[in-house]
This record gives sequence, C-alpha cells and structure tokens, in this order.
Amino acid sequence: MFELQKVSLDYGGTLALKEMDLSLGAGEQVCLIGPSGAGKTSLLGLLNGRVFPTSGRVSVNGEDLTSLSSKSLRQVRSRIAWVPQDLGLVPNLRVNQNIACGRVAAKGTFGLLRSFLAMGKGERDEIHQLLVRMGIGEKLYERTDHLSGGQQQRVAVARALFQKPRAILADEPVSAIDPERAKDLIELLTTVAREEGLTLVASLHDVSLAQRYFDRVIGLRSGEVVFDGKASDEGLEKLYRLGA
Amino acid sequence: MKRRWFLLTAVAFFFAGLWFLDANLKDLVPSEGGRRMAGEFASAALRPALTFEDAGMRESGASFAGKIATALWLTIRYAVVAMSLALVIGLVGGVLGARSWWGRPSRALEVFRRFIRLLATAVRSVHELMWALLFISAVGTSPLAAVLALALPFGGTLAKVFSELLDEAHSSASEVMRATGGNGFAAFLGGVVMRALPDLVTYTLYRLECGIRSSAVLGFVGIPTIGFHIKTSFEDGHYREIWSYLYALLAVVIFFEWVGSRVRDAMSQGKASKKTLSADASAIELFQQRGKSHFLRATGFLVAVLAVAGWLFEPDWSSGLSQERRLENFQRFTQELIPYPVRAEGDWSTMGPWLKELLLWDGLQALWRTFHLGTSAALLAGAVALCGILWGARSLARKAPRGVPMAGGFGRMVLGKVVRGSAIVARSFPEFILAFLLLQVFGPTVWALIFALAIHNGGILLRLGAEVVDNASSRSAEVILLQGGSRSAAYLGALLPEGFNRQVLFLFYRWETCIREATMLGMLGVGSLGYLISEAKVRLYFDEMLVWVILGGLLVFLGDLTSDWVRKRLREGEGLPRNRSVAPYRRSVK
Repeated sequence: MFELQKVSLDYGGTLALKEMDLSLGAGEQVCLIGPSGAGKTSLLGLLNGRVFPTSGRVSVNGEDLTSLSSKSLRQVRSRIAWVPQDLGLVPNLRVNQNIACGRVAAKGTFGLLRSFLAMGKGERDEIHQLLVRMGIGEKLYERTDHLSGGQQQRVAVARALFQKPRAILADEPVSAIDPERAKDLIELLTTVAREEGLTLVASLHDVSLAQRYFDRVIGLRSGEVVFDGKASDEGLEKLYRLGA
Repeated sequence: MKRRWFLLTAVAFFFAGLWFLDANLKDLVPSEGGRRMAGEFASAALRPALTFEDAGMRESGASFAGKIATALWLTIRYAVVAMSLALVIGLVGGVLGARSWWGRPSRALEVFRRFIRLLATAVRSVHELMWALLFISAVGTSPLAAVLALALPFGGTLAKVFSELLDEAHSSASEVMRATGGNGFAAFLGGVVMRALPDLVTYTLYRLECGIRSSAVLGFVGIPTIGFHIKTSFEDGHYREIWSYLYALLAVVIFFEWVGSRVRDAMSQGKASKKTLSADASAIELFQQRGKSHFLRATGFLVAVLAVAGWLFEPDWSSGLSQERRLENFQRFTQELIPYPVRAEGDWSTMGPWLKELLLWDGLQALWRTFHLGTSAALLAGAVALCGILWGARSLARKAPRGVPMAGGFGRMVLGKVVRGSAIVARSFPEFILAFLLLQVFGPTVWALIFALAIHNGGILLRLGAEVVDNASSRSAEVILLQGGSRSAAYLGALLPEGFNRQVLFLFYRWETCIREATMLGMLGVGSLGYLISEAKVRLYFDEMLVWVILGGLLVFLGDLTSDWVRKRLREGEGLPRNRSVAPYRRSVK
C-alpha cells in the first residue's frame, strides 16, 4: 500500500529522515516507535502527502505522491484517514456533524454545509450505525464537548471509518491520555482495522502496547530504521536498547 | 510585568495628564447655576415625563410615547441596517486578514493579508461621528449617510476582530479535513469557521449593542435618532423628557446586552439532550430528543427579521434633495477638501506651509490634549474597576465566597448586586451623551469628559475584571479565606496579583477605545481635536476638517497598534494564545 524509496526529509538543515526504504503492505498493522525527534511524525506526514520528501519517492498504491496534481493528491488522500494526537474534532459541533466531516473530500464545501445544516436521512442512518458499532449510538446528536474523553476517541475513529478509507494513520493517538483509555483506543483501532481489512499505521511511545497489539513494529531513531519486524524477543531486545 | 512599576507609571501618567489638560480641582465644584441645574436634573430622574412638557405640544394631540417609540425604532433600525453592512465588510475583511485562511502564503499574499488588517484598523480609527460629519458635509443629512457612517468603522472593527478570532480557532480539525482530501475552503469552513462561530456571533451581537449606542449619538450631528431628541429637549429645558428618552435607550441597550450574554452562554455551552435515551434508541428518536436552544433560534429569527425590516421600512435613503443638487453638493465638497491656498493659487507647493501653520497653531496641542484625555480617563476607569471588583465579583460577593462558608454576608450579597447593577447602567450610557449631560453640570471643563469616559469604561472594565476573578483557577484565595482572612485579603493578597496581567490587558483594550472616543468628545466644546473638527465644520472649512479627521485617525491608529503590541506581549507573558487581543464578554461566569 505505502512504498518509500530512498526518502530523505530535510527541515532546513535538520535531517528528519535519511534515505529511508520502507514498504507497508495492504491490511498490515504497523506501529512506529522511537524517541522524540526520531522521525515518526515526519514519516506519517509523508504517507498522506502532508509533507513532501526532499529526495526519494513516496508512493501510495503505486502512485507517486510528488508527481500528482493537487486534485489527484486529494483523491489519494480521501482514501487515507488520519487521527491526530488531539483527535481533531470540532468541540462545539454535534457528533453527527463531526463524523460527516470524514467525507469532506467527496462532499465539497456545499455538501459539507448541507450536512451541517440539514443532514440527509441516509447519511444520518449510516453515521448512527457506525456509532452503534462504537458503542455510543445514543450520542448521535450530542455536542462533542459534552462527551467524555473516551467517547470522543470513538467519535474520531467513527469519523475515520465514515471516510471509507483504505488506511488509517494515527499520530501518537494515546500520548496524552491515561493508560486504561490508551489501551481501549489501540484495541478499538486494531480491531476495526482488522475487521475492515484496513492498513493501520500508528506511532506510539508505549512499547508494551506496541508489542501487544501490532504484528509489525518499526523502531526509528534519528530518521533511520533501527529495527523492523514482528514483536519477537530478539526484536524487543533491540527495541529496548533503542533509547539508550 | 512588574506590578509596582506599572502602577507608579500609571499614577504618573494620570497626574501628568491632568496637569497638561489644566484640570483644576476647583473646577470639580460646579458653579451655583450648575448645582441648581444638577439638582433639577437629578430630581427629574424620579419623574420622567409621560407626556410632552410643553403645553402647546400637549394640546396639539401628538403622542409623546409615540415620539419616543419612533425615535427608538429609528435608532435601532439604523444600527441594525448598518450592522448588516458591517457584517459583510467584517466577514470579507476578517477572512482575508486571517492567517488561517491563507495557510502558507507567498510573500506577496502575506503583504496583502497584512495590508487588509491595517486597512481594517485604519477604517475603524476614524470615529463614526467623524464619518457622519464627512458624509453629511458631502451629500447632506440623509439616512444613508447615517448608516454608512456606522457601517464603515464597525465593519473595520469586525474585520479586525474576526481575523483574530479565526486565527485563534485554527484547530487540527481543519488539518484533518485537508489531510483527508478536503479542499481548502471546505476545511476552513468546517474546521475554523465552525469552531469560531460562537465567538463570532457573540462579538457581532456585542457590536450591535455598541451600534445602538452610536446610532443614538448620531443624533448630535442632526440625524433624528434618540440623541437628537435628548439634545433638543435639553435646549428647551425639558429635563423630565430627557429622562424618558434615556430610560428608553438604556432599556433597549440593556435588553440587547442580556440577549447577547444568553446567546453566548447557549452557544459556548450547548444544550444536552432532553432526556437520556438508551443505547438502542433509533436515529429518529435521538433526533427528536436532541438538545436545542429555542432562545437561540428565536434570536436568530428576530435579528434577521429586524435587519430585513430595517432596510424595507426606509421610504427614502437619500436626503430628499434632487439628484442634481446632491451631485452639485458633492462636487463642491470635494473641491473644498483641497487646501485653500492650493485652490486659490493652483500650486501644490503652498500646501506645506499651510499644513505646518495649522499643526503648529492648533493641531499638535489638540492632539496632545486628546491623548491625555483618553489616557487619564482610561486610568481612572481602571482604578474604579479594580476597587469595584472587590465588591462586585460574584465569587466574592456570595455568602460563601469562593466556596468558603463565612458568617453573615447578606449585606455583602446585596452590595454585590448593587455594584454589578450600577456597572450595567454605567456601560449602557453612551460616553458622548454622558459627557453632554456632565458638561451642563460642571460647566466647560475637561473633568466632565474624563468622568464620562471613565464611567462608561469603568462599567465595562468592572465586568471583564470580575470575570477574571470569578474564573481564577488558583486556590490561594481559598487558603487565605480558610485561614480566617477577609474577602478583601483574599482579593488583594491572591486574586488581584494573580489576575493582574489580565486586568492590564483589558485596560489597554479600553485605553484604545478611550482615545478613539476622546477624539470626538471635544465636539461638545472643550479644547481637543473634536473641538477643531466641529469649528471647521461650522465655518465650512472642509479642508481643515479633513486635516483634523486624518490627524485624529492617525492618533487612534497609533494607539491601536501600541495597544495590540502591548497586549500581545502581555499574552505571551501569560502563556495565552498570541492572537486573542480582544476578549470582551467571552467566558460566562461559573
């Protein structure tokens, strides 16, 4: 699904990624770990074309992101969901309105406005189904900031699924929350990704979560892949030496 | 910021200001005539007129209540129509001036964005009364002149504040929408505008309330809004009529403020569902039970109806003159804007000496006085507010201040209500009308202007400052109270020092508006820029008038930029978002 060939990323003198080669297959669940500044966020940014490489090639399903027109790039992006650290919800909108934003690419400005002002029955039912699946069906019309932190995470995941993506990117989704909720969110993300056959790429700080929920863990340090593989004992040993 | 230095500088500025303004303490005692007038005027407050005081008018069968209603309706109508125009200016200017709209702009676009922001500030630097004088001089006294005079500066203010609110609302929601394929416009709408919507609406309603006050003041330059009737009733010595007009105006302004604060609460907090439904409730049931605010809907509907009615109910927007006459007037006006030596000799090089003479004779002194008038008044307002907060802040006036039970406290609670009530009345009075009335009491002294500005702005600062105190998160005030300290000790020892930077920030925000108002108060006959403007207008020296208007605009413009800069630095010191420079009426009192 994602292919990086000799990708370097240079932020005005600081090299965030160094000649990285990486291939992430469709349906794979991948966790990026590493100390701060290792290049996890930059790598995720490359995958949906929020950041372009200084050199090298990033392709999604065989399409080179750097060579796409802005319209085609938007099309590629519309198939990749993104869950940022702070979830990226609008607190004063209702839950259904926030989830409707997941399909912003297909809707366009007026479609989005219509969903905000008078949501169609079909769309409403579809969103309701998603929420029921997330276990918060009764929150359909609640204001988002009235929800607990855990419920808001579910709204963010529902928005990602409503997008009907091929992949979900999650940037440090659990770094600012307590361990119990962190576990819930990762479990939710990996479960829905497995059920829908989606590629999931998440960056985490927590080694034990990575070990428990992901088949493939990629350790990054100073913009280089230090380690890539299943969370085996041998790999973990390398992993723990990572921050040293 | 070092509090001690700030306070010392403020006191120094205040007294230096009084010195430069020749504000003698003995002028504080009104003359005998002034005292008598004040007594009569004050006693009339208890007996507002219910019918015309003039016997002739009474016999003519005209209805006084009808006259008040007509004047009030006109005042509201011009304000609403002007705001509907200002909103368009504000939205376009606000979006174009917002950083979040442009994303990562090229250098040229960034210059353009900054230009838009400066333009908004510049347009608003010229006071609505000045715009009114310019338009009236150009095309005559017409409804359109009144509406445009309000719409331009208010549009500028809205644009400036909207830009700031939109930048502050920039959230990761819009980044998510962009990252998932949304176009820039949709991402801006969904992520930024929606996020800022409660603040945008609240601020617009606050501006509408200001617009009603300003619309009333336009009466003093001949537009027949309520200020016009206050002025003529005064000239006729009908004090009881004045109070009827004032009460009507205050009622409307306070009503709009009340609506604004309810809308703010409704939008910032939202409503929960009517009842908690089980997890298997259908989407339709959930829709029917969703929380919605009828108040918000009704307000939105009424404001829209008011705006449409405001436009439709005007039979003639022009001044009633024929098209040719208007054109002729306009041409003469633009001719006379050209400095007269240039007009006479056709040589632009004569403009320099003319301008120099004007500035040296009158201009610079008036500018200096205007600056000190605004500054002294803002400082007085700040001092009054800081004292008033001790009694006015809800969290301190309670029987259990900040949740700490104390003996007695009923009197304190009542006092708190009285202080807050007085602050509402104080800020509902337009400064200009207050100044007009105070001048009659004190005679032509600058004290009247200082007091007028200080009363209105003191009322606003008290409310803003009390909110800071009420929302203070630190527990040190509770500790002081629990250790047996008084409310004053908790305020002076903990709440005031902790919120001090915030209070200074508000002071600078009001200082810039005080300077703006000060440019016009001189029109009432006390030496400052406004005096020169009205002089020039009376003598039909439009070229001079333009110079004074530009000079006043420049002063306000510089004041704005200074205030922005100071507040930005204060915010950075406080760890608050950098852009939020105007924060009136934002957070509700918990």
